[in-house]
Amino acid sequence: MIKAASRRTARAGLMALAVVCGTVGLGAAGCGTAAPAGTARPPVPVKPLSLATSVTTGADSWAVALLGGSAAQYNNFWQVLVRPAGSATWRLVTPPGVASNGGLLIAPESGSSLVAGFRPSQLLTFTPLASTSTAGATWSAGVMDAALADVPDALAADPATGRLLALLADGSVELSNPAGTSWTTIASKRTLTGGLAARRCGLGNLTGVAFGVSGVPLVAGNCDQRGVAGIFGYAAGHWQAAGPALPPAFAHEQISVLAIAASAGRLVTLLQAGLGAGAGLMVAGIGGSGWSVSAPAPLSGRTVLSAAIGDSGTVGVVLTGGRGLIVAGAGSSWQSLPSLPRQTQTLSLGPGAQVQALAPGRTTVLVWDYAARSASWAIVQKLRVPIEFGSSD
Amino acid sequence: MPGMSSGINVTDPQVVSAFLSALLHQGLIAVLIFATLVVAWTTVRQLGRSGTANAGQGKAASCEPEPAGRQVLRIGFGIIWLFDGILQAQPKMAVGLPSQVIAPTAASSPHWVQTVVNWAGTNWSYHPIQTGAAAVWIQVGIGIWLLAAERGWLSRAAGLVSVGWGAVVWVFGESFGGIFAPGLSWLSGAPGAVLIYMVAGGLIALPDRAWRSRTLGRLVLAGTGVFLIGMAVLQAWPGRGFWQGVSHGQPGSLAASTQSMAQMRQPAFFTTIVSAFTTFDEAHGFAVNLVAVVALGTIGLAFASLRPRLLRPALIAFSVLCLAVWVLIQDFGFLGGLGTDPNSMIPMILVAAGGYLALTRVPSPAAATAIEPVTPAEPTSDGGRLARWKNLVNPESLSRRLAATSLRTVLAVGAVWVIVLGAAPMAVAQANPNADPILAEAVGGAAAPLQTRAWSFRLTDQFGKTVSLASLRGKVILLGFFDPVCTTDCPQMGAEFREAGALLRSDASKVELVGIVLSPTYRSLPVMRAFDQEVGLSAVPNWLYLTGSVSQLRPIWRNYGMIAEDLPAGAMTLHNDYSFIIDQTGLIREEFNADPGPGTEATESSFAVLFANAAKLALK
Repeated sequence: MIKAASRRTARAGLMALAVVCGTVGLGAAGCGTAAPAGTARPPVPVKPLSLATSVTTGADSWAVALLGGSAAQYNNFWQVLVRPAGSATWRLVTPPGVASNGGLLIAPESGSSLVAGFRPSQLLTFTPLASTSTAGATWSAGVMDAALADVPDALAADPATGRLLALLADGSVELSNPAGTSWTTIASKRTLTGGLAARRCGLGNLTGVAFGVSGVPLVAGNCDQRGVAGIFGYAAGHWQAAGPALPPAFAHEQISVLAIAASAGRLVTLLQAGLGAGAGLMVAGIGGSGWSVSAPAPLSGRTVLSAAIGDSGTVGVVLTGGRGLIVAGAGSSWQSLPSLPRQTQTLSLGPGAQVQALAPGRTTVLVWDYAARSASWAIVQKLRVPIEFGSSD
Repeated sequence: MPGMSSGINVTDPQVVSAFLSALLHQGLIAVLIFATLVVAWTTVRQLGRSGTANAGQGKAASCEPEPAGRQVLRIGFGIIWLFDGILQAQPKMAVGLPSQVIAPTAASSPHWVQTVVNWAGTNWSYHPIQTGAAAVWIQVGIGIWLLAAERGWLSRAAGLVSVGWGAVVWVFGESFGGIFAPGLSWLSGAPGAVLIYMVAGGLIALPDRAWRSRTLGRLVLAGTGVFLIGMAVLQAWPGRGFWQGVSHGQPGSLAASTQSMAQMRQPAFFTTIVSAFTTFDEAHGFAVNLVAVVALGTIGLAFASLRPRLLRPALIAFSVLCLAVWVLIQDFGFLGGLGTDPNSMIPMILVAAGGYLALTRVPSPAAATAIEPVTPAEPTSDGGRLARWKNLVNPESLSRRLAATSLRTVLAVGAVWVIVLGAAPMAVAQANPNADPILAEAVGGAAAPLQTRAWSFRLTDQFGKTVSLASLRGKVILLGFFDPVCTTDCPQMGAEFREAGALLRSDASKVELVGIVLSPTYRSLPVMRAFDQEVGLSAVPNWLYLTGSVSQLRPIWRNYGMIAEDLPAGAMTLHNDYSFIIDQTGLIREEFNADPGPGTEATESSFAVLFANAAKLALK
């Protein structure tokens, strides 16, 4: 016999599931459906991506890269770069006032707006925030009294409401008010991983947060359960499975969500199926018509170092061994790039199928343009960055 | 290792001067102690000469001679402890010992050893003057005590104290003699020089009857023999790098060790000797190790055999080997400005010689019986015991016994007081969990005394209320400037403010801890509250963190000599670190350079003491 309280909980859970499916638009695919029965084995953690990344919104291209090249830990400084819409060149727009040694995370909003979060380093324990609506020309200071997780998608912004979503270093998830001035914890690591849906998939490492196309907070992570992409949506106080149903070919593969981001009205996720030499890379995206999943690209033993999200759902990744891959979207096939320029940290996928490689050195960033016709790279910009070595000692 | 270093230069003039000054003051007190005791002893002796002269002579006549083996150990280790104490007085010791001697020694040991050693090193770093001086006086005291106290319980007690202090030095100073670290070798001093001091101390502490039989000598020599055989096996063990002069283009274990010794600051002559040996070992590593293994094994077997005709040549050979190792490999052990002892070879020779003499020169039983003092019958009843106590405190009896006391005993008692003289301030200092303010002064320079009127300000506190300097009149203000998103200095100094408030105790209500935001960009109340949370100032009732617009803040920063400029490319806001004490009348009394510099645990907590002391002074 089910007690009344249990019935209420079950009903609330079903309602929440319905809300998530409805608002995220997941019903078309595998939202909440049971995963193919995989064998639960101890999970093997996939190395998180570097914080180096780039995102192209409808207006601007943003990138985060690490400069300094010094052996000293606190002489490396993360930078924010922007290439405003219509401009051919990148500008250094790192928000001032905070040492960026711990890492910089970016969350584009609408237009030329972006929020940046400084991961704490040394004795700093919280996250200073900076927001711009002028493509980095001016910044306003904010704060989040907690440390962001060390993953590139730990901070997300909802362009529609101005709310921010943050994945913290302790595994909890916080949601801000529209002004970004106060924060509410919507899940601790314990409540998140202890929820029904998360327990089913054996949710482990959390890898990012994003807002769904309808503004629903999403969190991504890695599941122990084979064949399941660990993506969960938050609605009516509950977390529900919100990931795509993957083809049966992946039923026995460990699925890692490497990246999750919203771009130009689309939700894009980068998934790795399997480990080691047999691992493959997929993009799963959701727009108006539900999830679609790209064909897998074999990694051939390489590891994904960084991911770039382009306008209209394009994705580019930098792999170990100086290799790179791009895909035009979830329904497309992967394309292998010629050997990336040395020291490439991230690709940038601009409008009009433009592909660039950002290769930072000690105090400069070399911008390489990819010419598809000749399948070659050419330097188009050398950006000098005035690093203040020793300023964080 | 955290805490092992105060981050201050070992030759910092302020600390060195304070250390030498402390030694000078305590040295004068030590001289005074000895002078007082000698004068008192002489006076009492003069007063009671007629009544005690015979008794004194009788005592002297009845005192049996000290066994030669014990005498060698007592005098030998007395001199070594004295020498070690003098080495501890080297100017670099106060700051340098934890960071440049103890920490590197422990670095290759297992984690648990490092944890133990780090605890002691941190305590030293927090109170370098008192601890450094204590090490000097304790070792000087033990040395004098051993040299002065020839016989009796006072002499044996010196042996016990030698064991006790030796254990402290062996564990914390020598990281258990490195016995848990790889590369253990007798040639480089294993199992730690001070462990040999402890063995000698233990032998000195043995009762007289132990020295009247040959058993002790046999045990010492056999033990030394077995130890040397064990060390020979260890030295011969393959795969430890001692058989190769050069391995993969790098010096072998022994050559690497002597090479680093040769690089130490020392007279060129010594460098030449050790460098020459290094070159020789690199060329003939196998032969050198073979000689060492054979010599150790042969001498060890000779000692362990206890055959009389082998012992003397073995002792001579052992002494020659030890002296060669001492000069060529251990580089005398005490050079370079931070040497704490002459390493293990001289103590080894002394122990072996002591054992040899204990075996070969035993006081004859007849002599021992003849000189056995006649002791009165023990009182058996309470009445008898009472009478004995009365006799003990009887002034006439006391005076007689004092007059009969030898000068050696007086010196030994003085030595005990010298040990107390060193240990007491160290014990008191160790009870204080905060580091000494001299570290802060060494980092930031001494506070500048001022009598300047404080520049007014009118800003908003972390709760949104307006606060002005005038509104704080009547209280002493500890004023600092903090960038709330700074990653280094400001969180450290914020914590120092919190700790200073705690140190003020009952005076805290009369002191306001005030911080003014030092960032043109991060000035909002939520950021300030996050900073308060970060450094533990949120719940401090007398803490005010003030902010305002940039146009409000800039003149205040300028007046107080503060800089705050945002830098490009992810750099922290450029700012300086000054703090001020403003008295109840609004006068700036002191200005501190509150840049924590290297920012170790030791220097950090020292600022709190500096601030609290200055605030208390301003309250007077």
